[in-house]
Amino acid sequence: MQSSSMEKTATLATPKQRPGLRLLLLPLVILAGMGLSVEAGVLGPLGEQVGHLWATLSIFGVGSAILFLFTLMSGPRQGPALSELPRWQLLGSFLGPVYVVVLTLVTPLIGVGMTMIAILCGQVGKSVLIDHFGWFGATRKPVNAERWVALALIVVALVLIAGGGV
Amino acid sequence: MSLVLLLLAVVGAGAVLSVQAAINGRLGQSVGVLRSSLLTFVVGAVITALLIVFFEPAQAVSLMQVPKWQLSGALFGVTYMLVMVGAVPRIGAAVATVAVIVGQLGMGMLIDNFGWLGNPAIELSGSRMLAMACLALALVFMYRSNTRKA
Repeated sequence: MQSSSMEKTATLATPKQRPGLRLLLLPLVILAGMGLSVEAGVLGPLGEQVGHLWATLSIFGVGSAILFLFTLMSGPRQGPALSELPRWQLLGSFLGPVYVVVLTLVTPLIGVGMTMIAILCGQVGKSVLIDHFGWFGATRKPVNAERWVALALIVVALVLIAGGGV
Repeated sequence: MSLVLLLLAVVGAGAVLSVQAAINGRLGQSVGVLRSSLLTFVVGAVITALLIVFFEPAQAVSLMQVPKWQLSGALFGVTYMLVMVGAVPRIGAAVATVAVIVGQLGMGMLIDNFGWLGNPAIELSGSRMLAMACLALALVFMYRSNTRKA
């Protein structure tokens, strides 16, 4: 699993952008994306059998257990306590169940591919906005022409797949 | 439930996911990848447990009775979470998202096409392959624009 190496990367990395690191991160993120589809593919049929919320709980329950062990083994705590941080930075954790529950509900009905396409439709639009306005403390990056072309290409892809029949 | 309604819900979930990625990227920077992911999963488990207690009807089959591989979804979720929390602050939310898209779509197409993991099989059509090409191109554009700005 990539977790331990990721954690090392996180502690070693300087705030400076390094091209080598970025090229290394890209395939890793693509793999992580593939994992998401597998997760959705596992979740859908599971939710049909045991109930969508139970399937969701299996994700968060098992995930919590694994991460607890990792945290336990990872040595002394770094950085401030969670209680010292601005409240809004903790809000991200409340958004997790929304995604997983929707995934569980919808995948058996429209297929993994279609689900993923709709997910990305929301993701891309939203993250371009986040970069553009620098919301939630993300680095502010004005959306230039290339980004808009990319977004347009993604929309074309969405239309192609949605129109091409599920 | 109509297809449009379903799609709207999923698009919304995608937007929520990307908001979460941005917030967690920030959180991970200050407290570390592991602790921010742990927080996400523990809070997720608690919220889901609360929802089950109050809203979930009784089910004929329990989690303990299904084949164990069906419980492996969390492994992928945890890996994704760790990778994203580590990657978003470094390569930007947009580029990270597009890279995830390529992986998601590629694997999604494969799962649909072969009906893996007990899902209904949906054939990989010409338009689906064309769409994948568009997305690959989009990734190139996103990455180039991001590299120039940095």
